[in-house]
Amino acid sequence: MNYLFGSLTHFAALVFFAVVVSLTFAFLSKRGAVERAKYALWAFLAFLLVAIGIGWMMYPFSQ
Amino acid sequence: MDETVDETVDETKNSAAGKGSQVMAIVAAIAGWFVPGLGHLLLRRWTKAAVYFLCIGGLACAGLAMRGGIFGSGAEDLFDRLGYFADLGAGVFYFLAHELQAAGPDVAHATGDYGTRLFAAAGMLNLLTVLEAYDIGRGGETK
Repeated sequence: MNYLFGSLTHFAALVFFAVVVSLTFAFLSKRGAVERAKYALWAFLAFLLVAIGIGWMMYPFSQ
Repeated sequence: MDETVDETVDETKNSAAGKGSQVMAIVAAIAGWFVPGLGHLLLRRWTKAAVYFLCIGGLACAGLAMRGGIFGSGAEDLFDRLGYFADLGAGVFYFLAHELQAAGPDVAHATGDYGTRLFAAAGMLNLLTVLEAYDIGRGGETK
């Protein structure tokens, strides 16, 4: 476990977090396999897009 | 049998048996808090129980493996106290944190900091599933 997660990059940690949380939200809020799959995919992409968007917005402050 | 149909059948059985009981709801909530997914298991929501255990358990274990910090009960700072409540939501993973994380936390590095957030997120997610287990136990309509 330590070997697997000990050296994750920020992006890899973000992807893992997004997958797990999207799945949980889908099961919490939707019924039916298709509805859940659609919601999980939508939430996963939203997590990634928002995180990358905020990352780009903060980029000038790192200079 | 399809999982959706399986869950629908389970919910129909529960409805037929009555509107659920307050005691069962509380037992499911406490069990679900202590072990993620256990509350749903007691309520015969097999799929949800497995998904919640794997997702929340995976998130908590990842947080510990990344050497994230675990907040203690003696925190004086408000944010540390909030972190304590978030971490406590992970149930058994919180109590076993020191055993699972043999090397101890290391938040001086970015990975450890991510681990702190992942573990807190696991706790918060588990609290959401506890609320759902309580609702199902009371016979409330689940989505």
